[in-house]
Amino acid sequence: MIKRRKFIASSAIISLAPTFPAILTRAAVANQWDSGGRILVVIQLDGGNDGINTVVPYRDEGYAKYRKELRLPDSQLIKLTDAFAFHASLRDVSELFEDGRLSIVHGVGYQNPNRSHFESMRIWHAGSTEQSIRKVGNGWIGDSLSQLNLRGELQAIHVGDESLPSALAGRQCTATTISHASDLSFQLQPAASDHSQPLGDVESNSLTDFLTRSVKDAQSAVEKIQSLLDSGLAGRYPATQLGERLSLVSRLIKAESGARVYYTTLPGFDTHAVQAGNHSNLLRDFSTALTAFMDDMLESKLDDRIAVLAFSEFGRRVEENASAGTDHGTAGPVFLAGNALASRTHGILPSLTDLQDGDLKHNIDFRSIYAAIAANWLGCDLPLTLKDIEPLPLFKLDHVDKTCEIAADP
Amino acid sequence: MTSKRWQRYTPTTDEPWNLSRANHLHRRASFGATWGELQRDVDDGWEASVGRLLTGTSRQYGQREDFESISRIIGESAVAGGDASRLKAWWLFRILFTPDPLQEKLALLWHDHFATSNRKVQNLRLMQQQNELFRSRASAKFGHLLHEIVKDPAMLVWLDAGLNQKSQPNENLSRELMELFTLGVGNYAESDVQEAARALTGWRIRNMKAEYNMERHDQGELAILGVVGAFDSEKLCDLLLGQDATSRRLAGTLCDLFMGEDVADAEAIDELSLGLKRNDLSIQWAVETILCSQLFFSDANIGSRVSSPVEFTATAIRSLEMLDNPPSTLVLAEWCSRLGQDLFYPPNVSGWNGGRAWLTSRTVVGRSNFAAAMVTGQLRVPSTTVEWSPSVEKLGRAEQLQKLLLSNPNRQRSKVEAMKLSEFIAHTLSLPEAFVC
Repeated sequence: MIKRRKFIASSAIISLAPTFPAILTRAAVANQWDSGGRILVVIQLDGGNDGINTVVPYRDEGYAKYRKELRLPDSQLIKLTDAFAFHASLRDVSELFEDGRLSIVHGVGYQNPNRSHFESMRIWHAGSTEQSIRKVGNGWIGDSLSQLNLRGELQAIHVGDESLPSALAGRQCTATTISHASDLSFQLQPAASDHSQPLGDVESNSLTDFLTRSVKDAQSAVEKIQSLLDSGLAGRYPATQLGERLSLVSRLIKAESGARVYYTTLPGFDTHAVQAGNHSNLLRDFSTALTAFMDDMLESKLDDRIAVLAFSEFGRRVEENASAGTDHGTAGPVFLAGNALASRTHGILPSLTDLQDGDLKHNIDFRSIYAAIAANWLGCDLPLTLKDIEPLPLFKLDHVDKTCEIAADP
Repeated sequence: MTSKRWQRYTPTTDEPWNLSRANHLHRRASFGATWGELQRDVDDGWEASVGRLLTGTSRQYGQREDFESISRIIGESAVAGGDASRLKAWWLFRILFTPDPLQEKLALLWHDHFATSNRKVQNLRLMQQQNELFRSRASAKFGHLLHEIVKDPAMLVWLDAGLNQKSQPNENLSRELMELFTLGVGNYAESDVQEAARALTGWRIRNMKAEYNMERHDQGELAILGVVGAFDSEKLCDLLLGQDATSRRLAGTLCDLFMGEDVADAEAIDELSLGLKRNDLSIQWAVETILCSQLFFSDANIGSRVSSPVEFTATAIRSLEMLDNPPSTLVLAEWCSRLGQDLFYPPNVSGWNGGRAWLTSRTVVGRSNFAAAMVTGQLRVPSTTVEWSPSVEKLGRAEQLQKLLLSNPNRQRSKVEAMKLSEFIAHTLSLPEAFVC
């Protein structure tokens, strides 16, 4: 036992171990590409983020015209280019941007925008605006992962209290929800820490050995998760909901859960009234938690394996409403974070004077981001929904090449 | 039938009818039994015990006169309130209190086999209606179940039947009908899926009911599995039901439920499949054949199947006679979901992976935590101290209680004497061998 645990602690190539504390699936071991592979972390900014006050077109004459109460003064702007600035709450994230570890995709949306939270979120999850595809109920991540034919293996973990997002549903995609770190700690020590039993024979396929191994693996996993916390190797996260969620994602990644995709949510962006303070807090939560996560990954030398996607179901109306808030709008910025990003910005900052029904026009199809992530990051063949979509060049070419290589070499 | 593999059980010195086998029967074909029920069964013999299970009269403990009316009220209010967690709780209430646990066990099997999720259906009435179909046809002829499921509104929504029109066929239902519900992969060609989709055209949902519209049905000549002619869904189902691959798949599905890992070999499945064919795919016949067989009561079959979360939790609660002050089935439903079995929300169209896949580190921790929560009264709202029934108290802390809680209590455990009863129970339910039935 001691020998084995030492092995787990010291080995960088955990995937070679005959058994290891896979938190959720031991099948991951079977596929080195899986456990050593790239990971996507999705942060859903729930409720419709006001993109205009996030990536601010401070020079656009429409900004002062349409935003009276909500216009951010210079003191609350971090000017990044001649054209746009970040909300001051994005201080940490602006450093990621300066480092080349953050990309902004401007003006992302789709044709005939739907302003219902539910419908628009369904569209974003499905990766399609087609009613017939949305009705199937699967999602772009689940569909993409299904292309890998890993039936039965756990491929995605949703971290949060909400129900499993439909983005993760797919014909051959297995996903689970973990709400809290306590889902991975024993309430009952005596039974749990019964080390008196021999370790099940790792070669044996018998049910008895499998059962013994499962319990031992669970104990090791719990210990590993706990020791990550105790040792300070868990990273330093803000004491916010998103901070806690990303901290859990980090520990699951470090414990080699085997999942390719992690999905979590930051709710509260539906800012119809008195938006300023709330929005500022939400962006700060997003910024501090995301940066803590990226720094944690960097320190843990996992950063090359991580790409983060942050999106919202729509942006908000250009003109503020009478309650110092904003109503449901259309296009908005999408964020990506990671080491493999090709460029700091994509697309064109939408004009606030060239509007359609009082809303921003989109210039980047959301599916081109999905296609890039599915094909060039996760190494999936594009599913039907994304088949004809040209991937946005989000990732550096050498990363793209590597994906193709690994994907071609089973 | 003159079957070698499924010959009738005759107790022998090596494989006697005893408490362990009675418990095996209930853990496998029901959701466990109390010590008293097991004693009764040991005394009455195996045939009486199997007979009681087959006729829905096996339970003595926790039975209530008003079961069906209470169940109806819980179910109705769940549907009316649009609260999925209450519908899950309704089913768990049925599982814990029904006089016919085998029926619920089979309903769970069909829910898995015809896996439909409310994630997409978004209609609890339709989900409950489908669930009642699984219950009422639980041990019917498989053909009855199949004919009804292809017209079941929840299924039609789930597999996009409404999009399947003459002008624009949608293959979703026809593919799953062949791949998952009947033949299984490798027993049909892609062209069969395409043609079968045309055979299934014409159905849609209207006012929450399945409606057939001849105008929308493709009446052209089709070629499915080598048969040429005009097809509708009835004729397609009949064609599929007559295929050897279907009876074999059904035999395999039933063995997955009632038999442990590798207990029923290919020959056993073939024999069962032949018998099913001869008996018009009667599920009742197959279940009875399995439960009365030597193979079912063989040593190899005892404790050799990983139990599902619903089986694990419900069996613990029933065996330990916790129904006088019962757990909240809402809380129980949450636990089942946490342990990997979210009722009415199977992970995808092929249902739960089941078997060993139930056990991952997360769910092993979860099962242990469930046991801890159960013995500390945290399944109740608000949580209250658990008072064990006199008969459970009497079983003490050692051998006997483990005989009740485990299929194969064959290992010696240390540290037992020092434990309180509750602690001992939670400890026992956290053992590796507690996760099988």
